[in-house]
Amino acid sequence: MEVRMERREGALLAVPEGRIDSATARDFESKMKAAIQDDDRAVVVNLSQLSYISSAGLRAVLVIAKGLWRRDASFALCALPDTVREIVQLSGFDKIIQIHGSEVEALDAVGN
Amino acid sequence: MLCFAEEIMLLLLDDRDGSFLPVPSSSVRSALAGAVLMDLALANRIDTDLHSLILVDDKPTGDALLDPTLARIAESEQAHDAHHWVQRTSDHADEIRQSALDRLVERGILNREEDRFLWVFRSRRYPTVDGTAEREVKLRIMGVLLSDEIPDPRDIAIIGLSDACGLFDHMLAPPELAQARGRIDQVRKFDLIGQSVANVVEQIDELNRLRARSDL
Repeated sequence: MEVRMERREGALLAVPEGRIDSATARDFESKMKAAIQDDDRAVVVNLSQLSYISSAGLRAVLVIAKGLWRRDASFALCALPDTVREIVQLSGFDKIIQIHGSEVEALDAVGN
Repeated sequence: MLCFAEEIMLLLLDDRDGSFLPVPSSSVRSALAGAVLMDLALANRIDTDLHSLILVDDKPTGDALLDPTLARIAESEQAHDAHHWVQRTSDHADEIRQSALDRLVERGILNREEDRFLWVFRSRRYPTVDGTAEREVKLRIMGVLLSDEIPDPRDIAIIGLSDACGLFDHMLAPPELAQARGRIDQVRKFDLIGQSVANVVEQIDELNRLRARSDL
């Protein structure tokens, strides 16, 4: 799967495209892990280009968030399409992972 | 590494004498079904979303505890949600339970002992031979419940299954359980199969309540 990566305001910004499901979750997770550097203190994943996320995709997000939590780095999701927001909220992920409406808000929050 | 059904069976045994803790059998059946489905999900054979359980790969895992359920899902001509498959798989809970116990005995973790009660009734106990695996599972659970750390998928699964069986009533003292309740409820939501197991257990409880009321 395609995951655009760039560094913005001291944070790694990732923009996955398409679907994160059982077919792509491992690829997404390994691309994220490869892009995150030891000195990264914040990671924002912009989900605006995502059409679908399944349980396997949520598990991949959780594993990335856990890795960052262990090194005391910030992690946020932003710009969730409605279908993605529904499953994220019903799974309670919004209680342990920062969720923001826009990229600007997310970058601002993790930067502070 | 033990599969979830083996971990649940270990937690269901009383440490003191290897007897089974008094938990509702219908809850255990649903939890064992969920355990198998969760292992299939982590083995990337099935996936779930809010509406359905999706077959990803029908290739057998090689694990005799998981493959019969995988085969049933693969044979199904219609798509169903996780709730359906928890109910359907719980019809086979007795086989899953016995296979899990047999494997724990084979691994040298449990011993099997048969007692006779009034010279007629037989009861089986499974005293622990090697408590390492059970301690490891309990440590994982307590590590998540007593902290605000982000749990990993295996920890989420075992916490959801333990809660579905009512195991925390036995693992924690009432004040500890009251303190951990919010965290248990938070963590068990993270897994959609876990949510389905909890829903099935709640439905069965509700049915039993209605039956009890109509019997009065």
